[in-house]
Amino acid sequence: MDFLEFLFAGFAVFWAGLFVYLLWLQARLRSVQREVQRLEERLAEAEAEGEEAEKDEAQ
Amino acid sequence: MSAQTPTADTASRGTAARWALAALRPMLALYDARWTLLPPLTGAFMLAMLVGAVIVAPREAIEGEVQRIFYIHVPSAIAAYLCFFVVFVASIALLWTRNLRFDAVARAAASVGVLFTALTLATGAIWGKPIWGVWWAWDARLTSTLVLLLIYAGYLLARSLSERTDVQAARYAAVFAIIGFVDIPIVNLSVRWWRTLHPDPIVTRLPGSQTLPDSMLAVLLLGMVAITLLALWLVALRSEVEQIGVRSDDLRTEIDRREAQRSGAA
Repeated sequence: MDFLEFLFAGFAVFWAGLFVYLLWLQARLRSVQREVQRLEERLAEAEAEGEEAEKDEAQ
Repeated sequence: MSAQTPTADTASRGTAARWALAALRPMLALYDARWTLLPPLTGAFMLAMLVGAVIVAPREAIEGEVQRIFYIHVPSAIAAYLCFFVVFVASIALLWTRNLRFDAVARAAASVGVLFTALTLATGAIWGKPIWGVWWAWDARLTSTLVLLLIYAGYLLARSLSERTDVQAARYAAVFAIIGFVDIPIVNLSVRWWRTLHPDPIVTRLPGSQTLPDSMLAVLLLGMVAITLLALWLVALRSEVEQIGVRSDDLRTEIDRREAQRSGAA
C-alpha cells in the first residue's frame, strides 16, 4: 500500500504553491516598479512646470 | 542605581552599535549577495532535496512511499517558524526604532510564513488521508497550526487595510505579531502536552521514542537547508516589493505636496 497518487499530489501541491506565489510576486514587483517609474516621470514634469512658473514670475 | 550622563550613554550605545555591526557583517555580506548567490544555491539544494526525497531515501516499511511527503512537510513547517521568528524580531525592532523598514521586513516574512504554513497544512492533509483515513482532524497540532495561519493571515490583512506609511498602524500590527508568536511554542509542544494523532518529534527526540535512520535524517536535513534557503530568498524578494512600494508612497506624497503648494500659490 504505497498510495503513490497521494505522494504525487503532495509534491504537486507543494511545487504548484511555490510556483503560483513566485508568479504573483513577480507580477507585484513589475507593477510597483512601473508605478515608481510613472511617479518619477510625473514628479520630474511637476518640477519642470514649477521652474517655468518661477521664470515667468521673475520676468 | 547608577545614573549615566547623556554623553556616556551615547558613547556606550555607539560602542554597542559598532559591536553589533561587526557581528552582523557576515550576514550583511550574505544579504548583499542575495540576488547573485541565493537563487542558484536555492535551486541546487531544492533539486538535491527532490532527488533525495524521491530516489535516495529508503522506502518506509509501514507507511510505504507516501511517507516521502515528510521530506517537504517538516522543512516547510520549520521554514514557517523561521519566517515568523523574523516577523517577531522585526516587530520588536520596529517598536524600538519606529523605522518603517522593519515593518516592510515583517510583512514580507509574514507573507512567506503564511505560504509555508499553508503548504505544511496541505501536504499534511494529503499524507493524513491514506494514513489516518481523514483529510483533517481537530488534533492539537493541526488546530494550533491552523490558528497560527489565521493569526498571521489576520496580521497581513490588518496591515493591508492601512497605509504603508502609517506608523501607528504598523506599531499596532507589530504588537499583534509579537503576541501571535506565542502560538509557535504551543504548536511545537502540543504533541507533548496533549494526546494527539500527529507523530512525535523525530529530530529532537524524546527519551525512549523511535529514532529516524541516518539515511532518512540526512535527506530531511538536506530538505531543511533547501527550504530555509528558499524561504530566505522569497523574504528578500518580497521585502524588495515592499521597499519599492514605500518609495512609490513617498513619491505620491511629494507630488501631492507640490501640487497643493502650486494651487495655494495660484
